[in-house]
Amino acid sequence: MDLLLQTLLNGILIGGIIASFSIGFQLTFGVLHVIDFAVGAWVVLGGYLAYWMSTLLGVGGFVSLPVAFVVFGAIGYLIGPVIYRVRNSRYARPELMALALTFGLFTLLRGGALTLWGFNTRSVPTALSGESLMIGSVTVPLLRVVAFAFACAVAAALFLILYRTRYGLAIRATAENRHNAGLMGVDVQRLSANVYGLYAAVTGMAGVLMAAIYSVNPEIGLRYTLFAFFVAVLAGLGSVGGAILAALLFGIMESVVATYVGSSYSHLAIFATLYLVLLVSPRGILQRGL
Amino acid sequence: MSRLIASDIVTGYGKQEIVHGVSLTADSGEITCIFGPNGCGKSTLLKAIAGALPAWRGEVRIDERALSNLPAHMIVRHGLVMMPQGGGVFPRLTVLENLRMGGYAVVDGRLVEQRIETLLEEYPSLKRRTTVAAGSLSGGEQMMLALARALVSEPRFILLDEPSAGLSPALVSQTLERVQALTRHGIGIVMVEQNIREALPMADRLYILAAGETRFEGTPQDVRDDAQLMEIYMGQDSASATDALS
Repeated sequence: MDLLLQTLLNGILIGGIIASFSIGFQLTFGVLHVIDFAVGAWVVLGGYLAYWMSTLLGVGGFVSLPVAFVVFGAIGYLIGPVIYRVRNSRYARPELMALALTFGLFTLLRGGALTLWGFNTRSVPTALSGESLMIGSVTVPLLRVVAFAFACAVAAALFLILYRTRYGLAIRATAENRHNAGLMGVDVQRLSANVYGLYAAVTGMAGVLMAAIYSVNPEIGLRYTLFAFFVAVLAGLGSVGGAILAALLFGIMESVVATYVGSSYSHLAIFATLYLVLLVSPRGILQRGL
Repeated sequence: MSRLIASDIVTGYGKQEIVHGVSLTADSGEITCIFGPNGCGKSTLLKAIAGALPAWRGEVRIDERALSNLPAHMIVRHGLVMMPQGGGVFPRLTVLENLRMGGYAVVDGRLVEQRIETLLEEYPSLKRRTTVAAGSLSGGEQMMLALARALVSEPRFILLDEPSAGLSPALVSQTLERVQALTRHGIGIVMVEQNIREALPMADRLYILAAGETRFEGTPQDVRDDAQLMEIYMGQDSASATDALS
């Protein structure tokens, strides 16, 4: 019983962090119509940013969060228009070209990280690393709780932007129909760049948290891309509300499989679930978009 | 009094040229209709004027202000709004959110809310359903929403791409009456229509396109006087169109 509670708790805490960048992943798909394979690379680079900041400057992981937000926000803001151009080019198969672009970006960043920093796994120290609370016989790792709370705050902020501001309304309208949003006066290209920037910023921060909880190495990016992809398909591509639910489900599932079956089976379980979801409900668990 | 002038517009999709140098003039407070067979470039011309499609050549102006080659989102800010075919409402946004999108180009958010409130008085069927997703409205109601939404930015000209498409005959008249009512506020309408019978009597000026070129330009009176023209370009609808005029 305690083991089950512990497993569920771990799953939810990790699921929350995955949710934070899955929301951005969904928004990006909605607005740019691109599945961003580079998502895992932003998580990894966020982790490396935190690692180098702690190594060179001696600061803890949490200090890196705002830095990651600014740095990856800027990178995303610069890359967003490039993806937009490719996705909306007049040449043949722009959707495939855009996919190839994000995949290429991912490969480039992964290769770059390998060349620069090698295969070594790095960890990021924080003030809360190793600290935990005991509630009954369940261990509550403080770092994960704080990371979860942070991810929840980010998700809440994104929701406020989306549903309580004019700009958020424009984002949702653009996700529904870019052409009509343009006719209403939305600068779709700039909005796409802003959304990609915001998403990269949030993903970089999630990378800091992930590196602090686990560790980071260049090869781990593919895992996170798979996570985001899994969550997106489970939620229904483009669905923001579904992404949160799906990310939590995903976290719990991975945790349960890792505890009771063995961590080497978690990918098998993930893809089996994905297959079943696509078979039963191809539009995702909530059956609707944004 | 404003005048919208599009001169010598050439445009198309990809490398395919569809509109081969069409000119058009529309005045505020009037209805300018564009007729022609399917695929003659009517909608493409509208898109080029609204900036939704880049014009390869030619110029668009409202009075002295050149709009050519501005992107669509800037053109809205100069008082030219386009309603795409089917209305182009955002189905998953609520009625109110759709109206707010209509005012997205207006900087002052409070002004937008005021205008929406005023507009809703004129559209009672929408007022009752402001929190409903636009996609759950009927086709006719969606068209009303699209028209109301086009007004939120208080444009000088509205381009309508087949406002009657897909509507039942009763709704067609109702929708076109709404369109006509807009001209009384001094708004200029440029309208592409298939439903010539209903639209022709409303028109102040009309253009007939065929194969991407202007074949006729004038008033409904001119058309009536030219039986051959009616026959050729209006096809089977010509008899009824003549009836409607006489």
